[in-house]
Order: sequence, then C-alpha cells, then structure tokens
Amino acid sequence: MPVERPRLGKGVRLRRERDGTAMLLVPEGALVLNETAAAALELVDGQRSIDEIVDAIVTRFEVERAQARADVCELIDRLSERRLIEPAP
Amino acid sequence: MTPRPLSLLCELTYRCNLQCPYCYNPLDLRGYRDELTTAQWTRVFEEADALGVVQAHFSGGEPTLRGDLVELVGAASARGLYTNLITQGTFLEDALLDRLLAAGLDHVQISIQAPETELADRIAGTAVHGEKLDALRRVAGRDVALTLNCVLHRLNHDRIEAVVALAEALGVARLELANVQFYGWAYRNRLALMPTRRQVAYGEAVVAAARERLRGRMEIVYVLPDYFGDFPKPCMNGWGSAFMTVTPNGTVLPCPAAAAIETLRFENVRDRSLSWIWRESPSFEAYRGTGWMPEPCRSCERRESDWGGCRCQAFLLTGDAGVTDPACSLSPHHATMVALRERDGGSVAELVPRRP
Repeated sequence: MPVERPRLGKGVRLRRERDGTAMLLVPEGALVLNETAAAALELVDGQRSIDEIVDAIVTRFEVERAQARADVCELIDRLSERRLIEPAP
Repeated sequence: MTPRPLSLLCELTYRCNLQCPYCYNPLDLRGYRDELTTAQWTRVFEEADALGVVQAHFSGGEPTLRGDLVELVGAASARGLYTNLITQGTFLEDALLDRLLAAGLDHVQISIQAPETELADRIAGTAVHGEKLDALRRVAGRDVALTLNCVLHRLNHDRIEAVVALAEALGVARLELANVQFYGWAYRNRLALMPTRRQVAYGEAVVAAARERLRGRMEIVYVLPDYFGDFPKPCMNGWGSAFMTVTPNGTVLPCPAAAAIETLRFENVRDRSLSWIWRESPSFEAYRGTGWMPEPCRSCERRESDWGGCRCQAFLLTGDAGVTDPACSLSPHHATMVALRERDGGSVAELVPRRP
C-alpha cells in the first residue's frame, strides 16, 4: 500500500518536452513516462491523496477506476522503493 | 537517424587536491590547462539543450576549484538542464552550498575513499576524510538530493559493510558502490587495485543483504567489475548513443576515457559546434551503432544490448579500439583480461598516486 499523500523525492523533476512527451529526471538518470504516469505524477505534490489522483486520472482518461487505482499504486510503490517518491512530512 | 544525446558530462577542470590512484583522468594532464571560459561553457549548455540533452553532470578533477561553478550551474539550470555536482566535498562550505542551491543545483554526489579515516586518507594521499564527512552531514540536511559514492578496489573492498553503515548513519537516500574501472591512473595501477575473486563474491553478498534490509530507505547502486563477468558492460549504452563528455579544454568525447584512444582525433567546441560534433564528426561516427562491428560481435544476439562493450578498454588491452571488448568471454583477447584478474595471492604492486 503506497503512502497516503505522496510527493516527489529530493532531486526528482518532471520534465515536459517540446513535443509534449514527459520524462522523470532523477539523480543520474531519466525515466520516460507514458501519458497516464505523467498525468499522475503531475498531481503528486504532497497535498493530494491517492484517491484524488485516481479521481483525476479517471476523469481524464478512458479507464476503469479499479484499473487506474492499481496502476497509480504500482507506479508510486515502484518509485517509493527508490525513494523517488516520499511521504509528505 | 542520429540518436539523441541525453546526458552531458562537463569536466570543468582536471585540477584536484586529492591524489587517488584510481582516478580515470588522463595520465598526461598538461594539454588540459587551457580551460574553457564561462562564456564557452554557457554556449555548450545552449547547444546541448538544443540537441535534446536533459542532464548536465559537473565533474573534473574537482569542479569546485572552478571559481565560476555557481555561474555555470545557473547557466545550465536556466536552460532547463538537470544539474548534478560530482565532488569530493572538501570545498563545499555552507556559503558555496547556499549559492549552488539558489542557482538551481538538483543533486550532489560526494565520494569517500573508505569508511575509516586512516585508510581513506591513505588512498586520497592527503588528510581529507573528516572534511568529507562534515560536508556529507551538512548536505544531507539540505533540500537537495545526495548520493554517497565509494569507488571499490582491492584496498577497500572488504570494508563495504562499514560503507553501508556510514551511509545509513548519514541518512542518504542513495549509495553508489562502483568497482573501479581501469582507465587513466586506475589502468596504470591496475595490478595493485584489482580486487580478488573472494572480495568480489563477498561484496556481492553484502550488497544483496543490505538491499533487502534497506528496501525503500536507501537505493544501493552496485557496479560489478567487468573483469569478473562473462560479458562486457554496455559502455555509455553505445558509442555516440546517449552520452557525451566535454573535457576541461573543450575536447568532446563519446566516453570519459576515450582520450586514451590514440587512433581517433577528437573535435573541440572551440572549433566546431556541439551539434556538428555529435551528428557528423568522424570520432562520434566511428563506433556508432553496429555497422563497425567485427566478429564475434557482428553476428552476436547481444550486439544491441552490450554494443560490443567498451572501445577504450578494447584499445587499452589490444591496441585496437575496433575489436570486441576483451571483457567478453567470446573475445579472442579474453585471455589477456583473465590473466590480469587471476592474480589472487600474488604480491601487491606499488601504487602510483595521481599527480596534478
């Protein structure tokens, strides 16, 4: 179960390219993001809860709520493992 | 189509106050004293951004010896580049740190030579370990990402557990344990620095256990010594594929160790645009993609995952940068590498400290 109100870790930046594609810049690397992951990470600000992020994804993309929730949780878990996402203080 | 470079290594100066015998800088540093100016570096960042680069790594030598470091970080940051400072930390006073963070610095990597003062200072050739620990503690408390780095070799390989404990005590989110790669001074000192097979096996076990225990608290990056594997590392993810290095005098290299390849002529940003050098220069074209590959690479199914390994290592060990990396067990030169690593128990050669 991921952290309740996630935020990006120190030294983690979301970058939009001129063509609209998104990348997560991290210490010594860059991860290319798909559109759903980028939209979710744009809302990871230490204020919003996981549920609020999932709500926004369901509104914006054609996706079942259960699927969206599973995807967001998996993304946040995976990035939390590398401390690229941290719980809000 | 020419690939897009993502990462720019900016070697601001080769000057350094340490004398680590594993330094990858060239043995002959005389040609690098005429350093690029602030304006020249700023132009490099602009051209790098236009080419698609997203990260600028500031290294050296010791980059904090450049009086205009803050200005350079600011200039790269202003172009939207992610900025990473690779430093040994001894000049990282609070006032400089304040200015670097205000200029937009995203990440700091500080290296130690060993977890204990006596050994660390012996490897560095000067008493600096205490200052490094002080810098690490101060940076850890700031709003900037911090990586603790320790280059591993025969002299400190058995101390990995203590390095992990130190990283834990400092509360760093990221620890990089990179086995020495044999270029520059490290190549010269390879007989003394080569870890033993027992050390490498012990290190792997310690890292595996630490990763399990620290999951979610610390990311541990462990770079295996390719002398001990069966296949080469995908050096730079392929020559001229994603990385470039600009040396202190403006020479542009596809790999930080490439200056050792005497059979290639590398271009300089003082004479040519970064874009031309990346896209069209003969040195970047030389080993780009798979077209240059001889056998056994040419017909190998791994050719697009390890890209034939490292061109610099191939040159250093065989005199030909265009052959399969001898780290590969399929290379006809693999025996040269095996002979270098199978010296367990032999007398330890004398270390030659890096000189300025």
